Amino acid sequence: MLISRIFKVVVVSCVWLLLSCSLSYGTDTDIACLKSIKESLVDTRNYLNSTWNFENVTEGSLCTFLGVECWHPNENRVLNIRLSDMGLKGRFPLGLTNCTSITGIDLSSNELFGSIPQNISEIIVFATSLDLSSNNFSGEIPSSLANCSFLNVLKLDHNQLTGQIPGQIGFLGRLKNFSVANNLLSGPIPSSFNSSIFTKESFANNPGLCGKPLSPCV
Amino acid sequence: MWAIWTSAFFLSNMVFCGKTGDALNALKTNFYDPNNVLQSWDATLVNPCTWIHVTCNNEDSVTRVDLGNANLSGQLVTQLGVLTNLQYLELYSNNISGQIPDELGNLTNLVSLDLYLNNLSGPIPQTLGKLQKLRFLYDTIPFIQYCCTTWNSFTVRLNNNTLSGTIPVNLTTVNTLQVLDLSNNHLTGDIPVNGSFSLFTPMSFANNRLNTPPPSPPPPLSPPTRGPSNGNNATGAIAGGVAAGHH
Repeated sequence: MLISRIFKVVVVSCVWLLLSCSLSYGTDTDIACLKSIKESLVDTRNYLNSTWNFENVTEGSLCTFLGVECWHPNENRVLNIRLSDMGLKGRFPLGLTNCTSITGIDLSSNELFGSIPQNISEIIVFATSLDLSSNNFSGEIPSSLANCSFLNVLKLDHNQLTGQIPGQIGFLGRLKNFSVANNLLSGPIPSSFNSSIFTKESFANNPGLCGKPLSPCV
Repeated sequence: MWAIWTSAFFLSNMVFCGKTGDALNALKTNFYDPNNVLQSWDATLVNPCTWIHVTCNNEDSVTRVDLGNANLSGQLVTQLGVLTNLQYLELYSNNISGQIPDELGNLTNLVSLDLYLNNLSGPIPQTLGKLQKLRFLYDTIPFIQYCCTTWNSFTVRLNNNTLSGTIPVNLTTVNTLQVLDLSNNHLTGDIPVNGSFSLFTPMSFANNRLNTPPPSPPPPLSPPTRGPSNGNNATGAIAGGVAAGHH
């Protein structure tokens, strides 16, 4: 009798746990994500301080943060983060990995530096738009970006990125808007970048870069 | 002649206003409203703009219906299609059952359709493919483009219902569609990936009975094209640069 009762309790609580895991893609993790972003970046103009308040977090309060767009207004699940031109300083915020439902990331026109993480496709699995343009990012373009198969927009222009452009990135099937212009990239542009969305402007102002659609390598 | 014109104008205006009031009243009649949120919806008033949870513009046209989280049950009505200036239809988090009326396809000014967290069944109407906000004007003016395409974003959230059938393919032609959530339903068939749907990830379709295609492996990388001279172009360029620097 007692054993069957315990068994029932265990089964019910397991089912409940499973259900709650599948229903919410991670409300607690989204809070951790935004907290980590705020802590890892220097907010030189105090823009985040005014609205990014973690004192009394309720369902949907993240959705009122400046630059944060949620999937639904009454649920703390981040859809997009738009923090363009906010005077933010620091490295690529790795805390983004906890925003498990995020699709759009715009950190353009800030003072971010350091390299773009090599494992970026594990950090922002479902990214549809990634704009890191007009910052001070250095190092190479991570080839794992090629695994971000949902990317429609990839803007890395106006940074100090070096090395060659990983060829696999040219095969991203949903890409509509792409730019690596105004960097320090070199080497031949891989032949995978042959669709019409890759124009001269996408690659311009990289002194060491050559090959179609730029002038041939010599 | 002038008197006939003006009176006809006013009459038609009254009739029109009466229509939107009637439409919302039909909705009220079809709802079970235990929290009495629709108490202010007075059928004797021709103009519904004074009703709580109804918002109008300065031409007395209904632009918003905000009834999210209102403990409402019952069904939607076809008369909703009459609210042609409606921009926001917020009926989420209730207990509404029945089907989504085809007539919602007439709401060509809609920017937000929130029917999520209800008990809606039946298909997603094909007519929703007609909902296309004109935005070519914005596209031609570069400065305005960014601001207005984001402000013009069209949101459709039908998640957490018991909707069945397939996803209407013509939704991919609604090019202002920016946020789509169809998760947690009983939808079947394929997930479109073209047109506006290239913006949507598996998260928008999770927990349905849809066909999930196997992830396609990236195509093999062909060897990089090399210049006519020695294979090492990069070193060549750097050497050239260094040499130039010495002058």
